[in-house]
Amino acid sequence: MRPERALIVDVLRRRARPAVAGCAASTVHQTCEALVPLAIGLAVDHAIDGAPPVAVLIAVAGVLLLFTVLATGGGVAAWVLGSTCLAEAHDLRVRAVGRVLADPLVGRDRRPGELMSILTSDTKATADVMRVLSNLTSGCAGLVVAVVVLLRVDLWLGLGIVVVLPLLVLGIDRLGPWLERKVRARQQAGGLAAALAAELIHALRPLRSFGGVPEAVRRYRLTSGRSLHTALDTASATAVVAVTGLLATGLVLVGTAAAAGTMALSGRITVGEFVTVVVMASFVADPVRRIATSVEQVAVSRASAARVAALLAPPTASADGGAPGHPGPLRVHDVAVGPVTGLDFTLAAGEVLGIATTDPATADAVTALLAGRTAPTAGRVSFGDVDLGAFDRKALRRHVLVEPHTAHLLGGTLDAVLDTGRGTDRATVDRALAAAGADDLDQHVLEGGANLSGGQRQRVALARALAAEPPVLVLRDPLTAVDAVTEDAVAEGLDAVRRSGSAGTIVITTSPPLLSRCDRVVFLDGGAPPVVATHASLTTDRAYAEAVLR
Amino acid sequence: MTTTTTATTTGRRTPTTADAPVLPIATGAQTLAGLGRALRAHPADCVLAFVLTAFASAGAVAVPLLLGRLVDTVRAGRPDLVPLLLLTAAGVVSGAVFTALAQRATDRLGARIAADLRDRVLVRALGIESRVLERVGSGDISSRVTEDVENFVEAVPLAATVFSAVITILISTAGFATLDWRLALAFTVVFPVYWLSLRAYLPKAGPLYAAERRAAAARGQVVLESLHGLPTVHAYDMADLQTRRVADASGRTLTAGLRAARLFIWFTKSMNAAEALGLSVILLVGYLLVHGGAVTVGDVTAAALLFHRLFDPLGTVLLSFDDVQRAGAALARIVGVTLIPTPPPRPSRPHDGPVAVTAHGLRHSYDDHHEVLHGIDLHVPAGTSLAVVGTSGAGKTTLAGILAGAFPASLGRTTLTDVRGSTSVDDLDQAQVRDWVGMVSQETHVFAGTLRDDVTFAAPTSTDEQVEAALRTVGAATWVAALPDGLDTVVGAGEHPLTAAQVQQLALARLLLRDPPVVVLDEATAEAGSSGARDLEEAAAALVAGRTAIVVAHRLTQARACDRIAVMADGRIEELGTHDELLALGGRYAELWRAWSRRY
Repeated sequence: MRPERALIVDVLRRRARPAVAGCAASTVHQTCEALVPLAIGLAVDHAIDGAPPVAVLIAVAGVLLLFTVLATGGGVAAWVLGSTCLAEAHDLRVRAVGRVLADPLVGRDRRPGELMSILTSDTKATADVMRVLSNLTSGCAGLVVAVVVLLRVDLWLGLGIVVVLPLLVLGIDRLGPWLERKVRARQQAGGLAAALAAELIHALRPLRSFGGVPEAVRRYRLTSGRSLHTALDTASATAVVAVTGLLATGLVLVGTAAAAGTMALSGRITVGEFVTVVVMASFVADPVRRIATSVEQVAVSRASAARVAALLAPPTASADGGAPGHPGPLRVHDVAVGPVTGLDFTLAAGEVLGIATTDPATADAVTALLAGRTAPTAGRVSFGDVDLGAFDRKALRRHVLVEPHTAHLLGGTLDAVLDTGRGTDRATVDRALAAAGADDLDQHVLEGGANLSGGQRQRVALARALAAEPPVLVLRDPLTAVDAVTEDAVAEGLDAVRRSGSAGTIVITTSPPLLSRCDRVVFLDGGAPPVVATHASLTTDRAYAEAVLR
Repeated sequence: MTTTTTATTTGRRTPTTADAPVLPIATGAQTLAGLGRALRAHPADCVLAFVLTAFASAGAVAVPLLLGRLVDTVRAGRPDLVPLLLLTAAGVVSGAVFTALAQRATDRLGARIAADLRDRVLVRALGIESRVLERVGSGDISSRVTEDVENFVEAVPLAATVFSAVITILISTAGFATLDWRLALAFTVVFPVYWLSLRAYLPKAGPLYAAERRAAAARGQVVLESLHGLPTVHAYDMADLQTRRVADASGRTLTAGLRAARLFIWFTKSMNAAEALGLSVILLVGYLLVHGGAVTVGDVTAAALLFHRLFDPLGTVLLSFDDVQRAGAALARIVGVTLIPTPPPRPSRPHDGPVAVTAHGLRHSYDDHHEVLHGIDLHVPAGTSLAVVGTSGAGKTTLAGILAGAFPASLGRTTLTDVRGSTSVDDLDQAQVRDWVGMVSQETHVFAGTLRDDVTFAAPTSTDEQVEAALRTVGAATWVAALPDGLDTVVGAGEHPLTAAQVQQLALARLLLRDPPVVVLDEATAEAGSSGARDLEEAAAALVAGRTAIVVAHRLTQARACDRIAVMADGRIEELGTHDELLALGGRYAELWRAWSRRY
């Protein structure tokens, strides 16, 4: 079974009871809607047209009863389906988020914006398959009732309407995709204008700093003008679709009125039946359109389900080596990566090792290698004799923490940001904050740390890494945005915290305060053979001095 | 040098209070006036939309009335159906054509108004006085030019539908009246029901929907934060924790959504009640009137049909009430932005040759309680550079912003002097000040678009040769040439990623193209400390060469390269002099330099 179909079947199976109840209630609702024209016709025939007073009371009682059943059916359907769809969308969302966050391979071909839209819109559209199903069944029910009523009034009249009207409605709905394209173009153009406006306001300070406001206004007017153009274009398209639909259903109405009027004149049908037929002729379009829309909606739900299902796919096979309590050490054995060959070192317990490079690409390559994201082109990288590639992903991350250079702070308070789900005790967190020089910061953290300076963000990220107390910690340029005095103090604090146990630390940096505190420094100068020595002895190397000294 | 506190009072500004209101929200009258202004800008479109809608509604109402006549004709057994049928057909056709034309006209009118408002609010927001901007932050403005404008634009087609529904209801009421005034009265019994249910619904709906939107926004933020922070989530193996955070936020949205849905369902059911009541009363009154011989069976049929056809427009009006309310609230916030006074245009004063920068007794406070600058006097002669160093929180960024004219000091002033004399930076026209002073702040931004568009934002008329030369000067030529589409590579959020150092190079290149005589660099090259990004410092040096420059830097190699260095601490200038002078002084700078250049 295709994954999207499997997902939809799964949703319907898990939610079978509310889905069936919703469909039933919705069917009652639509059946009653279809009976309203009949009720009006019957009332005209049997109550208004010279009947005794009791007849009109019966008619009114009938109308009230019909609407009571109609409203109850509609209300129950709306509540059951609405709440079930919301709950299901929530469940799908949480499951999909869990997968994306746990498995780096899931959704990696999509940008955050796309993933966001899958997690919010597509989960909803997938869950809405229950609503679509109920529209389909209730639409069919409404159509059947209308057909039965019409056929009972007059076979030929009924057949005429039943055959012609759906054909017309379906014909008009073929304009739908054309209109939809226009509407989508309008939304897209409007979205572009909105995105540009948001960007310009977000970047207003930098924009002003180089005097870009007049150019920003010019660019915005261009985008906004395009958006207006598509909106005007869409208005015309909408009008074309509207006039086609109104004309078609209107002419059916006139034709029906002519035929039914003639029949009523000749006494073949009663006046009330004439009324029923005329009202029904304008009503029948409703269930037909409901069915047509549902069929389109099924396609929408399927497309959404396909995107959600891709995120919910069973976990990618991860190697399962390395138990959680697996001992080190981290060993890089005769490795080739990027331009570097013959990289070879073992991280001793309690050691702080520096890696200095002359170009950012090499630093990137080494970082990815230590994170286990890439495999070396030659040689091995292992932790306790198990290759990083053979590790269970979760286990590896508990052993080796590679803090990304771009600090993403998750959470609205400093405590939340520092919480990485390890249940770290307060004293450890405080020690980490103090070591990273971040103990003077406010609790309140805006989205993404927007209220913190670049240096403050770096210090908080470093505190988070220290508080996590990983057996191996890899840091990449951790202190590029702080002043010299702070840099030195934090380098000292980092050194003190990481040396206190059997844990090992690797710092990829060109910062002398950090490198000078390392037990050993691995210097990678392009394709030249790696040099392993202390910072002090390396400073006599001209290339090294140029790369790290100030 | 010690700073003097003999501040001049010439630059004194109206004090603002910390609890000053945030951005204004237009009152009902102002909002209506704003909408009226927008409508009056398109008088022909307005008239057309109104007339067409009236015709369309008349056509729609005529059909049930004619059907009523048809019933009477049939009952009377008169075989002259043809004229009535032709009239009905004419009603249907004209109703259809006018409905479509009316819809088109109102949609187009709405689109034009939305576009006008959208443009006006953005231009006004971009020109907002820095003082106001610093005070309110960009969040509120941003939500107004995006969410509120979007809410309003989305409500436009709806407003067109509501408008035509209202007209249809009005004309239908007239249609009832042509049958019999008592039938018309019978129909109006639905209005008290609608009024009561609206009165019960609206006060509860507002807060519930607001809560739902807040919960959804919070959920969006947690989800987006998690997605942007995926590298961190993966690195720390904190999927479980972060999923729980998303689940909590999503759960709160679910609860809020269910609450809003329940209320909405009750509200729609009250509409069913009104429909049942209206139909019953029409039948009852109709029966009595037919018995009394006041109306025909056809009249009652027409009334019933007319009412049945009103189910849709009535529903449209009722259900759109809170959308319309929301659009009104959005409009009030949009019009509110246009109520912010714009700075008056200043006389043009182009610069002539090199420019010197002088600060006179600058004092500044962001909240009127804590002063962050305590009287700064400075003179940077034309063509020389001054570095500003000091620990975080010393006030370096504030000073840089004031010197660059990004915002005015609370007290004191900054003058720019060229061969034609002096002018205060705050007296220059907003559009002209960047011809004098260019700035690169800590906050950098990559604009979505091609790399060329990004760099030429500061100087739109630049040729590709000029762009390439600027990129070469800032050391970006190599990586730009290696991009998949060179200058045509699309950059910005979610597009081709750039490193922080590359972003800073682009910011420097923009200023090179703009070519102002004075540049203020606020930690413009902080990324030079990253592995292998040292060439950023050369890029900054190339920009500073030959200009008057104020350079805020924590990397002291950059400070040493400047002609003079000012050391700031606690909002004051503690030391000022050349690198050698300050080292000889043995003060704060000497200490910083020791930390910086320590042979580790």
